[in-house]
Amino acid sequence: MGFIDKVKGIFKRSDKAEAAPAPGKEAPAKEAVTKVAEFPADSPIDGYVPGLGAPPGGKINLAIYWAAGCGGCDVSVLDTDEKILNVSDMSNIVMWPIAVDGKEKDIEAMEDGEITVAIINGAIRNSENEHMAKLLRKKSQILVSYGACACLGGSPALANLVPGGHKEIKDHVYSKVPSSANFLADSGKKIEDVMPRPVYEAPEGTLTLPVLYDTVKTLDQTVDVDYYIPGCPPTQKSIAQLLNALVGFVYKGEALPPKGTVIGVLAKSLCEECHRHKENRRITNVYEPHEVMNVDHDLCLLDQGILCLGAGTIAGCGAPCTKADQPCRGCYGPTQPVSEQGASVFTAIASLFPVQANDATMDEDDMDEIMSVINDPLGYFYAFSMSKSLIKRAVKEGGQ
Amino acid sequence: MADFEPKIVAFCCNWCSYAGADGAGVARMQMPTNFRVIRTMCSARVDPEHVLRAFSKGADGVLILGCHPADCHYIGGNYRARRRIALLRMILDQYGFDPKRMKLEWVSASEGEKFQKTVTEFVDTIKALGPSPVRSEEA
Repeated sequence: MGFIDKVKGIFKRSDKAEAAPAPGKEAPAKEAVTKVAEFPADSPIDGYVPGLGAPPGGKINLAIYWAAGCGGCDVSVLDTDEKILNVSDMSNIVMWPIAVDGKEKDIEAMEDGEITVAIINGAIRNSENEHMAKLLRKKSQILVSYGACACLGGSPALANLVPGGHKEIKDHVYSKVPSSANFLADSGKKIEDVMPRPVYEAPEGTLTLPVLYDTVKTLDQTVDVDYYIPGCPPTQKSIAQLLNALVGFVYKGEALPPKGTVIGVLAKSLCEECHRHKENRRITNVYEPHEVMNVDHDLCLLDQGILCLGAGTIAGCGAPCTKADQPCRGCYGPTQPVSEQGASVFTAIASLFPVQANDATMDEDDMDEIMSVINDPLGYFYAFSMSKSLIKRAVKEGGQ
Repeated sequence: MADFEPKIVAFCCNWCSYAGADGAGVARMQMPTNFRVIRTMCSARVDPEHVLRAFSKGADGVLILGCHPADCHYIGGNYRARRRIALLRMILDQYGFDPKRMKLEWVSASEGEKFQKTVTEFVDTIKALGPSPVRSEEA
């Protein structure tokens, strides 16, 4: 158990938590300053190490959990190709919803800290997500926030913009969508008969469902997080960087990166990684990528009127989207000193609109009209970062 | 609601509006005291993040005051600012804020009177709108 002691040495918090398992333990770190782990673009990534064998102190326990997300992150661990075999050399995978049959009760039966690494993907959207995040935090030494949804809220967090919260969403999905079997206009059913309910008394016993929350949260707004890996899904390179750090730690006792490190990012914006050149053209209209017949492969997408979030997004992914003539959607999150990714991007984009000859005589309504070529700015600029934004969710005027 | 005293953050550019506010003070013009002035070098220095942060911390309204178009000390700062603020207004609207909670106005260094008028009107607008929805949700 030598390596476990080492883990405990590094993570003093684990020791403290064991000494006093108070409920406050799971309190999220408020506005914690995260550090960027800068990995040079050409830093070597060890490939598959044949015959790695079990670590000297015995296999570690590894858990992967899938919260509110699409499942892409859960699969993406397999993107490491044959290196996944080193993962099984190194660890017992005690939970991995898409691949391994680990159950909640197995995790609950474990001692606190028995899992060395837990990797959680997906946002926290319902009571089950929250329960599992807290459970895995309790049982794990190291907790990794994996993917855009866990780190920033991701697409699920756009649900925060529905003013009526989960009630309005359920009402729409279960009764107002014509393709639904419950479509009230056709079925003649009552709304309470078609709505899912958290508790149902069946003849066989009580059935329960997780309760959906009004506000989708990130993982670190729910529990304490040690490392972050952004991306939708994280790239093969950043997964390999995490695995390398773990292999070095478990086999050779090498130090892990400091707590709060964001793995797989570079301390600059995506534009630095993008191959396109910028001519600082002014734009008066914006286009979807499919509306532009011949996208210039070497010219900045913003110059071509395609809204790209690269300017306000942290680098590290290698800009695969802009290489494929698609704009950056911002899944890696804001650059380091910035907390508000969307504001950072639209500040830059608003400056692309040219000053007009009659600008001095225009009023603010004219300005609104000029900028209204951008549809749904909130949804577009905050596509991945709603949970981490300053306002976080829809507000209601006059709602006391 | 009669006793509601709004908190207002007013960003004033160094070259025009801040001097305008100064002028209003020197001339001893009467105006409500609900606003806190933050001096910025230019209205374009007001990052939308500053405005959103003010709202997230409970401001009931945000005023952004700059030089008149064509009068910017930095030639084109206010043109940039007004485009940004227009986008920000759309975003505040999407969040569910009344867009009237944020106002962009041009106040030159000699317009102490306009500063007084702008602030007084804005305070009245916010008083009519009531407390910020962000604050009332947290309570």
